[in-house]
Amino acid sequence: MALEFDKSLIGQVFDETDFPPVTKEEILEFAAALGETNPLYTDEVAASEGLHKGLVAPPTFVTKLRAKKFTPENLPKFGKVGFDGGRDLEVLAPVRPGDTLTMLSTIHEIYEKTGRTGSMYFIVIRNEVKNQKGEQVAVIDHRIMQR
Amino acid sequence: MSILYFEEIEEGDEITPIDMPLSKDQVRRYAKTANMYVPRFTDDEGAKAEGLPGMIAPGVMSMGLLARMISDWNQAATIKRIGTTFRSPVLPDRDIHLRGAVTQKNETDHTVECDLWMENDDGERWVIGTATVTVPTKA
Repeated sequence: MALEFDKSLIGQVFDETDFPPVTKEEILEFAAALGETNPLYTDEVAASEGLHKGLVAPPTFVTKLRAKKFTPENLPKFGKVGFDGGRDLEVLAPVRPGDTLTMLSTIHEIYEKTGRTGSMYFIVIRNEVKNQKGEQVAVIDHRIMQR
Repeated sequence: MSILYFEEIEEGDEITPIDMPLSKDQVRRYAKTANMYVPRFTDDEGAKAEGLPGMIAPGVMSMGLLARMISDWNQAATIKRIGTTFRSPVLPDRDIHLRGAVTQKNETDHTVECDLWMENDDGERWVIGTATVTVPTKA
């Protein structure tokens, strides 16, 4: 059975957030919190000779960016409880100290799955991250489950 | 520290596993730096008030740990894509086991496909995922 909702929600940009410049300290702290040992993320001097010719953030760093609006106001509620279902992250360019990132958020997909315990609804929010040069840095699809 | 070239990797290879205790302090540290400093990720009472069994680790932290496993395994690897499904809440103050395997090599673009997961002591897979990773070639 097809889900009833306003189809024009799909693909609509509902948030654009600009972030303050990424700092070296914040990259090092993020890497340390995950226990990273790769000098690309932990050692400025060694990283300057490495793959990216300088310190870069671990690939999942962009998941810490918080949009001003997490979902659009007019998003219909399909279930009573929401869960974080997962993330799909596409990494397109490294994040470096001094980068100013911008994130655009759209509703990418809404679908229903029926399992043993009844119906589950999935809302996929797509967050596209760009840097100050206009380069695409990452695409993060966030699957929210409702039941 | 290790660097693996495309030629040295075989389908079926294990990604060097990580067994680690996941402490509440480490989860709080992550939550703080990741702008997720809210009760469900920082204190048991607050998490219980939200109907959880106790404080949990953010899903993206599990994703970050699985990404770290790849970068520890092969420091020359670059993650192009990583996808994770959060199957059950990850509860700190116990051991977690990060695991992975190479499932496919793509000769055309020198990438490898990997299966990844985090399990508990009972072998329950709390988080599962896949990644596409670019690796350097000797040539």
